[in-house]
Amino acid sequence: MASYYPEPTNIWESIEYSSLGTSIAESLWAFPTLETLHVIALVTVFGTIMIMDLRLLGLAGNKWAVTQMSKDTLPWTWGAFVLAAITGTLLFTSKASTYMVNPYFLIKLGLLALAGLNMLYFHFVTYKTVTDWDAAPTLPTGAKVAATVSLVAWIGVVFCGRAIGFTLGIYY
Amino acid sequence: MGDFFYGLTDWLRTTFLLDWAFWIETTGFNQVLVTNFWGVPLAQVMHIIGIGAAFAATLMLTLRISNLAGGARTVPEVSSRYMPWIWWGLVWIVVSGLLMLWAEPVRNMINGVFWMKMLLLVVTVLITLAFQGAVRKSATASGPAWTASSGVKVTGWLIVILWCLIMAHGRWIAYAPV
Repeated sequence: MASYYPEPTNIWESIEYSSLGTSIAESLWAFPTLETLHVIALVTVFGTIMIMDLRLLGLAGNKWAVTQMSKDTLPWTWGAFVLAAITGTLLFTSKASTYMVNPYFLIKLGLLALAGLNMLYFHFVTYKTVTDWDAAPTLPTGAKVAATVSLVAWIGVVFCGRAIGFTLGIYY
Repeated sequence: MGDFFYGLTDWLRTTFLLDWAFWIETTGFNQVLVTNFWGVPLAQVMHIIGIGAAFAATLMLTLRISNLAGGARTVPEVSSRYMPWIWWGLVWIVVSGLLMLWAEPVRNMINGVFWMKMLLLVVTVLITLAFQGAVRKSATASGPAWTASSGVKVTGWLIVILWCLIMAHGRWIAYAPV
């Protein structure tokens, strides 16, 4: 099959000019459909994380035990995150080299990493003593810091996600 | 479906909405929004955050009614946590949506997908009002032992699906021919 795309010069162009990348880019419906699923997934991720963060901050749902709130929301957070990651990766393949030079895309990846590290620290360090404060309306500083970092990081992720769409023609 | 939306948009162009959209573009507030590079993106970020708050609240309440999450607390307790977030979230969504509408009146008002989204929104709000009223009444009457009938569960999930359809239309406004 004749290819209308130039020879890739780096890994990002190889991804972009792959049959998967070009199929998504050339399709009239694939990119908007993937974006739609990405939006539904990310509002679920953000919304369920916010429910947990507001509990940790003592701002909403304080009658819930923290462990119970976590059990209720976390499966939905993770399920939606997997969908957001799959659709996000597919969106990425269609414009890989354009995204890789976009500062908002790179900051978004950094903020996702920050949110992940924050979650790991909370889970493996702060959460160890959860039995002491599970049902308390006011939680230890570590939990409040984790919730604040989480909210800031995820709002930043949403901002960068939108900023990418408005700056695609600027850097490349 | 493309033809339907194309025809709807063509018809919208013949209505008073076009003059109305042009008038919005002459207002000072429109100029503030369009001459600031971050005006529209920030309104969209606000919109998405509001949708996250209201949609997740709707989802958690529906999960509780369906006995899929939150079983440690009663339906009225779960409702009192999430209902204010659904309705105040909706107010936030409408305000940020008006900012987007004011910034790009032609793109939105002369757009069949936008009006289908508005129709779905009104239908969803009406169903939600009736649904929440009926559930509260029956849950209060039956006490803590109340369990949802299959009709109530189906209506709860219908509302979640309607929210997803509204979000889908929101995303496709950008791809509709104007």
